Amino acid sequence: MMKRYDLIVIGAGPAGLSAAIQAAKNGVKVAVFDENKSPGGQLFKQIHKFFGSKEHKAKVRGFRIGQELLKEAEQTGVMVHLNAIVMGLYNNKEIMVNENDQTNHYKADSIIIATGARENMIPFEGWTLPGVMGAGAAQTMMNLHGVKPGSKVLMVGSGNVGLVVSYQLLQAGVEVVAIIDAAPRVGGYGVHASKVTRTGVPLYLSHTIVKAEGTETVSGAVIAQVNSSFQKIEGTEKHLDVDTICIAVGLSPMSKLLKMAGCKMEEAAGDIPGVDENNQTSLEGVFIAGDVAKIEEASSAMITGRISGISAGRYLGYIDDEVAGNDISKLKNSLAQLHKGMFSPENKGRIDIEETDEGYKTSESLLKKGYIDDNEILSFPGVPKKKVVGIHPVIECVQNIPCNPCQDACKNGCIKVGEIITKLPAVDPDMNCIGCGLCVALCPGQAIFLVDDDYSDDYATVTLPYEFLPYPKAGTKGIALSREGKRVCEAEVLYCRTNTAMDHTALLTIKVPKEMSMKARFFTAKEAL
Amino acid sequence: MNKYMDRNRSLGEFVHGEDDDIIICRCEEITKGEIRRAVHEGMMTMTEVKRYLRAGMGLCQGNTCGKLIKGIIARELEISASQIEECTARGPARPVEINVLGNEVESNE
Ligand SMILES: Cc1cc2nc3c(=O)[nH]c(=O)nc-3n(C[C@H](O)[C@H](O)[C@H](O)COP(=O)(O)OP(=O)(O)OC[C@H]3O[C@@H](n4cnc5c(N)ncnc54)[C@H](O)[C@@H]3O)c2cc1C
Repeated sequence: MMKRYDLIVIGAGPAGLSAAIQAAKNGVKVAVFDENKSPGGQLFKQIHKFFGSKEHKAKVRGFRIGQELLKEAEQTGVMVHLNAIVMGLYNNKEIMVNENDQTNHYKADSIIIATGARENMIPFEGWTLPGVMGAGAAQTMMNLHGVKPGSKVLMVGSGNVGLVVSYQLLQAGVEVVAIIDAAPRVGGYGVHASKVTRTGVPLYLSHTIVKAEGTETVSGAVIAQVNSSFQKIEGTEKHLDVDTICIAVGLSPMSKLLKMAGCKMEEAAGDIPGVDENNQTSLEGVFIAGDVAKIEEASSAMITGRISGISAGRYLGYIDDEVAGNDISKLKNSLAQLHKGMFSPENKGRIDIEETDEGYKTSESLLKKGYIDDNEILSFPGVPKKKVVGIHPVIECVQNIPCNPCQDACKNGCIKVGEIITKLPAVDPDMNCIGCGLCVALCPGQAIFLVDDDYSDDYATVTLPYEFLPYPKAGTKGIALSREGKRVCEAEVLYCRTNTAMDHTALLTIKVPKEMSMKARFFTAKEAL
Repeated sequence: MNKYMDRNRSLGEFVHGEDDDIIICRCEEITKGEIRRAVHEGMMTMTEVKRYLRAGMGLCQGNTCGKLIKGIIARELEISASQIEECTARGPARPVEINVLGNEVESNE
C-alpha cells in the first residue's frame, strides 16, 4: 500500500509551514515535503527585521520567525520530510518524491502547494561567467553557509531584494560598488534604499548592465545609461571594478507541479495559478499558498499559508464551515493591512503618487536619489519642525508602508502611527522622550534617529541604528556621513549601546558640531584622519 | 486566424543581431541567435524550440532560461509574451538520476 496522509504540503517555507501547522492544529494528519536539508524556505536567509505590526511578527528577524515556525510544527505533530524532492504531482493527489536515492510515492486527500518562487535572470555579454549570480543566491551563500560571494559587488536591481541583499553584503564586509536599475526610480522601500545610500553606496538609476568582463571569472562590469524606452545610450558606458555581479530583477512563481496536475492558470499561457477565495485551485482539494500563488513577502506568505491550511481542514471535514469562514475572514483582514499603502497591489509600479495618504507631498529625491534631501526632510510628521529641547526622535519614514513597531516601542507615547499601520509615524511636538532609543533599534527600516541639540554649547549628539561588527568603541574618532553618504564632518563615538530587546541593532551615539545634527546619519571610522 | 497561430505569416529575412552570440540556455549552451533563427525556421512555440534546439532541456530544466526564451520568441513574432504557452509540464519536475527513477518503491511500508 502507498503511504497516505490527510494532507500533503509541498514546500517548507513560511507558507508551507504555516499551512501545515494550521491544519495539524485542527487534527489533520499532515506531511510536509521540502527538497532542502533543513526547512524554512527563504526565511533562514533573512537576517533583517520584518515590517508589519505585531500580528505580522514585525521587528522580528526572519530567521527567528523560521525557528518559531519549526518549533510549532514539531509541537503540532507535523511530519517533515527533508531532502525530499517532489518530482511529480498527479491529479489523483499523488506525489512522486526523490528521497534517499529512491523514488517514493505518497497520496493524500488534499494537497497544498507552497513551492515558492525562483529568481529571474537577464542575459548580457558574459553573464555565464562564474561571479554572476542571483541576489538570492548571494544571500544563501552569506547567511546560510557563511561564505562571502565576492569582495566587490555590483547589484543589478533596486527592488527590496536588491536593496536588502546589498545591505547584508555590507554587513558581511563586502564592498557594494554600485546598485543599478534600468528604471528611473528606486523600486523598493525608500527606507531600504536610504540605509545603503547613507553608507556611501552609489545608486545609478536609468542604468543597465552591458557586460561582465573577464575570462575565467568576473573581473569587471560595464554599465550604461538607458533612455526612457530602456535602450542603451551610446557613449555613456562606464567600467566598474567588481568581481561579483548580483542580479535582483524579480521572482517568478514555481508553478510547474500545478501545471503537471492540470490546474488552470490565471492566464492560459501564464505561470500564475488561478484560485478561488479560499486559495483552492481549479482542482478540488488542491490549494496553494505563498509566493507560488503571488509573489509577495514572507509576512503575507504566512497568512496565505494559514488560509490554505484552514481551507484544506474544512475540505477534509476537520473544521466546520462557520469556524473556517470566521478564521479565514480574520486572516484576510490581517492580509488587507499589509496590502495598503504605496506598495499595495493596486499601486504596484505606479510612479505618479504625488501625495502620501495623509496629504504630505511625497519625497522626490527618495525615489530618484535613494535618500531624502535636506530641503524635504522637515515636511514630514516624524521630524519636528521647531526646536525641541533635549533628546528627541527624528523619524525619517516618509512612505506609506505597513509597519508600526515604533509606536509600540515608545512607552511614553511620543510616536503615533494609529490604527492604520501604513500611516506615517508622527512625533508629538510636546513629547517626553527619555532617550531610551528603543524606537531607533526596533524600526525595521532603520529610519529613526535620536538628536540632542543641547549636548553642549558647540556640539549635538546623534544616535543612530548600527548593525556592523565590530562596534566602534567609545572615543573612536571618525567621519559622519550624510543621508547621501557624503562626509559632512568629523565625529566622535560617545557610546555604543546594545541589549536583548534591541536584538543586535546597536545604538551608536556620536558627537557632531551642532549645525550637523540634522545632517549626520552614519558613522565611519575607516576614514578617520 | 490569430497572428500567433498563423504559420504562413512571413517574418521577413533573418537579420543577425549584435547580441545574437549571448548564451540564453546555459545548461545546453544555446544562443539567442540560434533561438531567433529557429523561430524563423518555423518553431513558434516553447515546446517546438525546446525540441528543435534542446533549449530548456538541460540540468535546470528551463528554470533560468524559460522566461528569456519566451521573450525572444515573442519579440521575433511581434506578439506579447503572455500569448506564448509554456512547455508542457511533465514529471520529473527536477533532474533525477536514472538509477533513482528506476529505484521505484511500490509499497511504502
Ligand atoms: C532576497 C530576498 C529577500 C526577501 N526579503 C523579505 C523581507 O524582508 N520580508 C518579507 O516578508 N519577505 C521577504 N522576501 C520574500 C519572502 O522570502 C518570500 O515571499 C517567502 O519566503 C515566500 O514563502 P514561500 O513559503 O511561498 O516560499 P519559499 O520560502 O521559497 O519556500 C518554498 C520551499 O519549497 C521548496 N520547494 C520548491 N519546489 C519543491 C519541490 N519540487 N520539491 C520539494 N521542495 C520544493 C523550496 O526549496 C523552498 O524551501 C524576500 C525574498 C528574497 C528572495
